[in-house]
Amino acid sequence: MNKLFLQGAILLFSVMTFAQHTVSGLVLEKDTNTPLVGVAVQVKGTNNGTATAFDGQFKLEGIQKNDVLVFSYLGYETKEVAVEGKENLNVSLTLQAEEMDEVVVTALNIQRDKESLGYSVSQIKSSEVNVARENNVMNSLSGKVSGLQITQSNTGVNGSSRVLLRGVTTISGSNRPLVVVDGIPINNGSGGASSWGGVDRGDDLSDINPDDVASISVLKGAGAAAAYGSLGMNGVILITTKSGTKLKGIGISLNSSFAFTEAYLTPDLQNEYGTGAFGSFAPIAADGRPVLDYPYSWSWGPRMEGQEYTNWLGRPDTFLPQGNPYEAFYSDGYSVSNTISFEGKSEKGSFRLSITDEDGQGIISNNTLSKQTFNIRGATKLSERLNIEGKMTYLTSETLNSPQLAEGAGNTALQLSLMPRDIRLSDVADNTVDANGNEIKWNLDNTFNNPYWALENTGNIDKRDRFQGFLSAKWDVNDDFNITAKTGMDYIVFDFTSFGARGSQAVQNGLGNYAHNTGKERIWNSDILATYNTNIGEFKITANLGASYRDENNSYVNIWGNDSKVSNFYQINNYKNTFNDESVYRKGVNSYYGLAQLSYGGFLYFDATLRNDNSSTLPKDNDSYWYHSENMSLLFTKLLGMDSKVFNYGKIRGSYARVGNDTSPYRTQAVYDIDQTVTLPYTVASIPGSLPSFDLKPETSNSWEVGTELGFFNNRIFIDFTYYETKTKDQIMAVPVSGATAYNSKVVNAGSISNKGIELQFNTIPLETKDFKWDLGFNFTKSDSKVESLNEGLESITLNTLWSVSVEARPGEEFGTIYGYDFKRDNFGRKLITDQGLAQRGDRINMGSINPDWYGGFNTKFTYKNISLGALVSIQQGGEFYSYGRAYRTFFGTDVRSLPGRETGFIEEGINENTGFQNETPTDAMLRQYNNIFVSEIASEQILDASNVKLRELTLSYNFSEKMLQGTFIQRASLSAVGRNLLFFYNAAEDIDPEATYSSGPASTAFEHSSLPSTRTYGLNLKIDF
Amino acid sequence: MTTNHRFIIRILVALIIAFTGVSCDDHLDDLRENPNAVTSIDDAALFTKAVRSLFQGTTDQSAYRFSGHYGHYFVAGSTARIPDQYGDGFDGQYNDMFTGMYGGVIRHIEEVLQITSNTESKNELRYAMADVIAVLGYAKITDAFGEIPYTEGGKGKSADILQPKYDTQEFIYKDLIDRLSKSIQVIKTADPAMGYPDSDPIFNNNLNLWMRFANSVRLRLAMRLRFADTEFSRQVVSQCANEPLMESNDHNAFMIETEGNGNNWFTYRTGFPSIKMSAKLIEQLQQTNDPRLSVFVEPDGNGAYTGMTNGLNDAAFGSSNFAAKSDMGIALSSKDSELYLITAAEVWLLRAEAALAYDNDVARADEFYRSGLETALRQWELDEASINDFMATPQGSLLGVNDEEQIGVQTWLALIPNYFEGWSHIRRTGYPEIPQRTAPDLAKGVTNGILPKRFLYSSFELSANNNNVMEAISRQGDNKIDTAVWWDIKD
Repeated sequence: MNKLFLQGAILLFSVMTFAQHTVSGLVLEKDTNTPLVGVAVQVKGTNNGTATAFDGQFKLEGIQKNDVLVFSYLGYETKEVAVEGKENLNVSLTLQAEEMDEVVVTALNIQRDKESLGYSVSQIKSSEVNVARENNVMNSLSGKVSGLQITQSNTGVNGSSRVLLRGVTTISGSNRPLVVVDGIPINNGSGGASSWGGVDRGDDLSDINPDDVASISVLKGAGAAAAYGSLGMNGVILITTKSGTKLKGIGISLNSSFAFTEAYLTPDLQNEYGTGAFGSFAPIAADGRPVLDYPYSWSWGPRMEGQEYTNWLGRPDTFLPQGNPYEAFYSDGYSVSNTISFEGKSEKGSFRLSITDEDGQGIISNNTLSKQTFNIRGATKLSERLNIEGKMTYLTSETLNSPQLAEGAGNTALQLSLMPRDIRLSDVADNTVDANGNEIKWNLDNTFNNPYWALENTGNIDKRDRFQGFLSAKWDVNDDFNITAKTGMDYIVFDFTSFGARGSQAVQNGLGNYAHNTGKERIWNSDILATYNTNIGEFKITANLGASYRDENNSYVNIWGNDSKVSNFYQINNYKNTFNDESVYRKGVNSYYGLAQLSYGGFLYFDATLRNDNSSTLPKDNDSYWYHSENMSLLFTKLLGMDSKVFNYGKIRGSYARVGNDTSPYRTQAVYDIDQTVTLPYTVASIPGSLPSFDLKPETSNSWEVGTELGFFNNRIFIDFTYYETKTKDQIMAVPVSGATAYNSKVVNAGSISNKGIELQFNTIPLETKDFKWDLGFNFTKSDSKVESLNEGLESITLNTLWSVSVEARPGEEFGTIYGYDFKRDNFGRKLITDQGLAQRGDRINMGSINPDWYGGFNTKFTYKNISLGALVSIQQGGEFYSYGRAYRTFFGTDVRSLPGRETGFIEEGINENTGFQNETPTDAMLRQYNNIFVSEIASEQILDASNVKLRELTLSYNFSEKMLQGTFIQRASLSAVGRNLLFFYNAAEDIDPEATYSSGPASTAFEHSSLPSTRTYGLNLKIDF
Repeated sequence: MTTNHRFIIRILVALIIAFTGVSCDDHLDDLRENPNAVTSIDDAALFTKAVRSLFQGTTDQSAYRFSGHYGHYFVAGSTARIPDQYGDGFDGQYNDMFTGMYGGVIRHIEEVLQITSNTESKNELRYAMADVIAVLGYAKITDAFGEIPYTEGGKGKSADILQPKYDTQEFIYKDLIDRLSKSIQVIKTADPAMGYPDSDPIFNNNLNLWMRFANSVRLRLAMRLRFADTEFSRQVVSQCANEPLMESNDHNAFMIETEGNGNNWFTYRTGFPSIKMSAKLIEQLQQTNDPRLSVFVEPDGNGAYTGMTNGLNDAAFGSSNFAAKSDMGIALSSKDSELYLITAAEVWLLRAEAALAYDNDVARADEFYRSGLETALRQWELDEASINDFMATPQGSLLGVNDEEQIGVQTWLALIPNYFEGWSHIRRTGYPEIPQRTAPDLAKGVTNGILPKRFLYSSFELSANNNNVMEAISRQGDNKIDTAVWWDIKD
């Protein structure tokens, strides 16, 4: 559109002349002033033309005074220059940067004009992921793309993220979008711990190097993804990595980032009452230490007024609050990344080589990451008609001591948050092991460690080697027909060891433990695609026919043991009791597909996809399935010849698709497992608890979407709106069955989920002058996932539980509805209180849903000459989660919310269940919290609103001007100061980050459990091109 | 169509055929086979699984959280203690126990029963032995819940029954006894080679012991019906007397767990939140100078035997100094402590009860009682002198006064460490007496302080098998923990 305007403007200023003469001149690249070789120079409306020589010079004879010369060069904006009688014309061409935005990468890596698409696609430029850099590239997309919901948990330096496109479509699947890198679908598992603990080992997306990313296309709907068949049901994220381009200079680029990470959100703890129970100190036990059992090891003791007392070590001490233990325990982390790349391009081919080194340290000082990525990509023309391209990426990473999470004994945040408020952290640090080598703690509970003991005596090492590569050949049979064959692999080898020393009851009853898991995960994808183009009158037709084979092969070997022979030696031979197991999972999918695109007159586009999948995870008689999609796009402004400057671009689009989903391997066969036994003289076998299905069919998802794109004032205001609906039925799931069947679940096709939503993207340039530009954008997503039905007779499927709270799928309700016990209430909602003044457990009710009412992002960027300042704010409205961490802290008496009624007694609001009068009976505050949270399992007070407004990203960039760089080797340079996740403008949950989950599965946002403090990062990024 | 087009189409077809050729459907078939498991198995491996599950079940949460408290044997700490307060807010645990009892023993033994009754793999002896295990599995479930799916239970795989109907406890019990009678007849005359020569964790395929075992289980089941159907009970008990029963500790059905961390009670005792023995148990043993005190209970830090009172409310528990109380005895809670299904001591004591109740033969009852008590003492490797001393005390014989109670209390002690059976025994006989909780420091729970009588059907079962479980509730009574099961009718 901008181009049209430019052309018009130039025409307007052209002046008519008649005399013939010769024109010569020089064509340079704008900004860099490099001479451009081979630029086509043509007299408009004639065949008279030439091309520039190697030095950028051209010469054309027979030119008339009023002629217009057209300069065109691939990758640059075409420029028309009126001769106006001049004999010498120096022209500079602008790189087609803005134009590139209009070409998007779509399914099967087919590049298409965005105008022609009947569905919504968002494309993100590399600068959006490699300046304010994140270890996990997905986190950089948070708040930037409508329909895409990213939840970034605080689970250590290499944590995983929950990624959801257009909500949840399947009850038991991962719901994670398919990720395709350069045409090769890769692994995309989620990570995280369980509510009982464990560590987050990251997800597969954190292996994508942001510095190698050229662009990211987000194919949200099934219409866009249908070409991927059963893989594309949850949408597709297409990542295109950089290939060699022609750069001015010698083609070397540097990208360096350094960032600090600091903890900034910790729970509000009270500072008034210390260790003890019922307002008193614990009795002193025979060993001279206070009784360290519950409830005395809680923070329900006397008011801390500097009185003398015997502390947890049995020493005389002064009873005083000890400040925020989080601040003292956690330190600042950092991350450093350096990339150097070499690239070039010639007539015969292109190449790019890059090496990235990343090092980081989390807020727990022994949690570190070291990652190196080597990337080589090249393309060459073997002949006029045969192109060969290949890429190899090798990544090696080592993450040390991913922190233990949730209920894990080694979760330092859990221990710190429950530590009675008078305990000095330095005492805890200085007293970790007694003379017998046993852990010293302030309580007897084996489910908690001394945090410093955990820090010094438990750990894990996570090593990963990942190879990604492809080889492709494109044969241009003739100008209209080509065939591309491609084979590519994603191969991960991991090696994970974890260990705990002897001496802690929490670690295998004091025996110490060790585990070593190794495995490999391989996806090998091969495909072939034939493309044919033809024009019939005003119709342009492109047809593709293809086939692919996908092979997944994962295998694991685990060994573990307990009871160490010598201390501080972590190797399986050192353990008296050892165990092991292994498993293999294989899956294959054969697919055949055809695509056709039809366009008419440059304003009407229609395309269709048909695909057939055969999956080994389905029974043989049921394994072949068809998917299809139909998309249409109409540029009505072009059709109607509307060319007003006010309303310059208008498009409506629509899409219908049917896609599907297979399942995980081996769900169609009845088997016996052989139990691993060490001591028994006989064989023990067992039957798996899930009953197989012998007639499974794939899930099917039918969806449609309509949308419009409207541009005003030459696109200075641009609106993209989409409405979509998806219904997924015949869901494959292991439905829980009555325990009396002797089985836990049966794999069936049952149940359906419907999704509806709207997506709005609004971009504007309110102000633009020669030196100053203000960009402003807003995106908005409202997405509802409703469970329409489950298996006949089944009322609910529990997706996950934490303490007494569950997140469920129930017919008629949103996917991810949170259920927990409420207070017992009368018909007016008043709590019914016992004669003892205690509230009681009532019904198990719907307490909210994990789904936000809407979410979105707000971005703005100010550019003045060489300086730009950008900000991104993400917004979530609505959605709930349960904070077990707060529940724990409240009944352990450390949370600020445990203060009311400590000395006067807690008067529960409500009415006496017998008299009906307002309750006036006080109860002991500790008993109140203990009773409500622990005994009665009432969750109502810890169900929190997840609404928040977060300053996600702030970037200040300076591009060094050419003047400054003149006379140096440096061609281009920019320096940016960046900040990520800087602060909450608003957080309904106050002291808890609603993103602070301990895993990244689809329902993971339902639960928070004593998470590590939320962190912010700020740092510098330097880019230099030589 | 131009030649050019035809050429293109030919190439395309050739390419697609070539592609299909390399990745044909046969390859997908290979991938369908699960390489991590087998598709057929010797039923012996499933039999061992079921038997082991039965033993392991004596330490599961039905014992650790529930019946150990209800039987007033001990008090566990932290969350494990809550059922001791007679509440019923254990929906998840009720479901876990229901699912666990079926999923462990029943899932595997039903498969064995199916394999050993199939025409091609028929084996009467194996079927009979497996049936004894199935009976013990089902008996525990019905004792815990009352009516349960029985004829249709455990048939998720064999008959694809996903919503099994419930049977009355009366029907179940009578059928269980019938199955035992049939098994006894088969085992009596069978060739041991047809049994499980190398894979019997209980008796190493000794069919004599198996017959005593089956007959003793039959006696236990028969006596459980003493008050619910006295005539039937009496009749079965007399049948039992015609066949050999367990008589010495050599006949006991026990197992030592050698896998993993060994006996679970070891983990419970040494781990958090630990287990403290009950004041009631310690009082009983101390008052009678029972030499088993030092077997069942560890002295506290001061060398004394101090028990935890069952049923304390939260405030009272908070100030009870739980951590300082006496642990479970080492003999019960070592890694290699024995787990029991049924013992000769229990059988003798049941015979004593029967002699008194059905034959009114006090002398015979006393004889059985003394055998029972002595067998019970010898089970714990006490020294001869302390056994003799104790046998000489008033506890050593029936004195014609409160004999029922004396037998009942000794049975309660003899059942240790099978705590679940202890709770069933108390429910049936009322001995030892567990008074209604009235003291202000005791929790009254949802039963007004009366000992719970069953576990609840979980809300999951109510949702997944609604019609059938509602039918059971309509017959049996409200789904409450103070609704008695059928055999529990003695006042």
